[in-house]
Amino acid sequence: MNLTMKRSKKSTGGLAIAKRRFVTGVTVPLLLYESLGIFVLGWAFVLMFFDYSSGRIGGPILGLGGSNPFVGLRHFIEMIKGTSVEAGLFRTSLRNTLIFAVAILPLNLAITLPLAWLLETIGSRFKALYRTIYFLPVLTSSVGVALIWMSMYDPQAGWINAIIRFFGGTPFSWLSDPRAGFAGVSVAMWAVILAYLWQDYGYNMVIFIAALQGIPQELKDAAMIDGTNAWQAFIKITLPLIRPTMLFVCVMTMLSSFQVFDIIQVMTNGDPNNQTQVLMLDIYKNAFRYQNLGWAAAESFVLFIIVMIVTIIQMRVLRTDWEY
Amino acid sequence: MAANTLSVPVTRTRTSFPWGKFFSRFLAYFALTLGLSLTLLPFIMMILSSFKTNLELLRVPPTFWPERFTFENYTRIFNDPKLPLLRFYGNSAFVAVFNVCSTLFTSSLIGYMFAKFEFPGKKILFGWFLTMMMIPTQITMIPSYLILAKLHLINSLWGLVIFSAVDAFGIFMLRQFCETLPTELLDAARIDGASEWQIYLRIVLPQLGAPLATLGILGFMQTWNAYLWPMIVLQKIEARTLPIILTWFNSTHTGQGALVMAATVLIIMPILIVFLFFQRWIVQGFTMTGFK
Repeated sequence: MNLTMKRSKKSTGGLAIAKRRFVTGVTVPLLLYESLGIFVLGWAFVLMFFDYSSGRIGGPILGLGGSNPFVGLRHFIEMIKGTSVEAGLFRTSLRNTLIFAVAILPLNLAITLPLAWLLETIGSRFKALYRTIYFLPVLTSSVGVALIWMSMYDPQAGWINAIIRFFGGTPFSWLSDPRAGFAGVSVAMWAVILAYLWQDYGYNMVIFIAALQGIPQELKDAAMIDGTNAWQAFIKITLPLIRPTMLFVCVMTMLSSFQVFDIIQVMTNGDPNNQTQVLMLDIYKNAFRYQNLGWAAAESFVLFIIVMIVTIIQMRVLRTDWEY
Repeated sequence: MAANTLSVPVTRTRTSFPWGKFFSRFLAYFALTLGLSLTLLPFIMMILSSFKTNLELLRVPPTFWPERFTFENYTRIFNDPKLPLLRFYGNSAFVAVFNVCSTLFTSSLIGYMFAKFEFPGKKILFGWFLTMMMIPTQITMIPSYLILAKLHLINSLWGLVIFSAVDAFGIFMLRQFCETLPTELLDAARIDGASEWQIYLRIVLPQLGAPLATLGILGFMQTWNAYLWPMIVLQKIEARTLPIILTWFNSTHTGQGALVMAATVLIIMPILIVFLFFQRWIVQGFTMTGFK
């Protein structure tokens, strides 16, 4: 790269100097800014090996050491087999996060893929309108979504209980009753899953619609001529062709559901009995409410590793090597 | 289910009504419209509830249509001295506009540089951006907060925006666009005596209109709706942005559902109206860039 610089300098003289000055003018501030990023990352990495609380005045370097002692891997050992309250809460949060993400992905795909496919195959005049409306919740602030659903889940005046009463069922405290559950998952968890699905599904819809539009018409026509029915065409032609999109959608949906925070923080804040306590919420509470920042940093590292592993697995499973 | 024209036997005469096709179309429209109503109903209920009196909202079974439309909830919010709504709109607008302007400027400039200039260490620097893009916020959130606390920028809107002035994703996207710009055009301008900054401002930037608009709108929506990071940084009420104000308002007005719904309408509606105006661009942007 140095060579090319020199050569261009010889051929164009002053212009090359101007170019170099421009590059320096951009990269130097950029490097300064990015070194802040490296510093932040380094601090995050160091922090998880300390019992750090911002309330204590520790050692001279970043407040580490002194009353914020180095604990090595103790946080991680505690997470695995510790008996303290926070270790227990971490394991609960981890389990809840996994439940949440594992429930969201298939439910989301089961709604978005068929709906997008229907919308694409009927080729409706109203397609743009449908797409616009499906997309509205995606752009709504999560706090707004949470409040709307809280009013619908309201034990007395909420619409969901009104419908249940109408059919003669017993009304239910959806967001605060710790007892009941369905399929081993607490009711409050299902309630936040539903609200999250409602907010999020339009995003995948739009992605799938775009992917389905990208399938060449000749392929569909050829299948029709060969006498496949719509279902066979979907399984044998459409699904394999949108595999890259499937990968993208799966990864993005999993990533965002592993990091869910807003909607749960507003709707339940982890209640009842920590049944909806997810990792991000636990990290937030430890870091900014209990000032237990070293522990929170260790937790966020665990979340990061999980997210990485899941992404890598999904990329392996859904990888394709060919294009159409 | 749908558009299943070939399952209708070919032997059937043209004149007979295509029941199969009709039925599958009907089912398709039914499913789509069901999805549509389930998407819209919560919004409709929110708007209708905001026009009810609080007493009516608490009634069992709930009423769908307000018995008497009242603007009382809205006037109460506008006249609440503890809720200077304009100030919060201003906070949110400042953060969103500043964020969009800074990321558009840095992304276009840096993207252009990566696309059209050769310099030592370019690959390493770009690789660093690649890595930065994959690191999630929950990792950097805690040290970032500690830095802001050291700099006394907690409760400052500037503290909120400094960490997002450079957006690795935007740089990626605009680098790709800049690579398609003809180098001859830039060289011609150089020979005509334009300085490098003039080339960036006068020639490169105008060509980037479409991707900049996409990035800008998406960034605006993201920042406008951001919750976790603003909640950490902005602890004083006056400094807060709209989503955090909404949770605060909800927690200080328990049992006053109609009032809370009116506040929700006021806070989420502006962005939805923006969306309805720019919807084609926005949807395109989301599918093109694949980030939310």
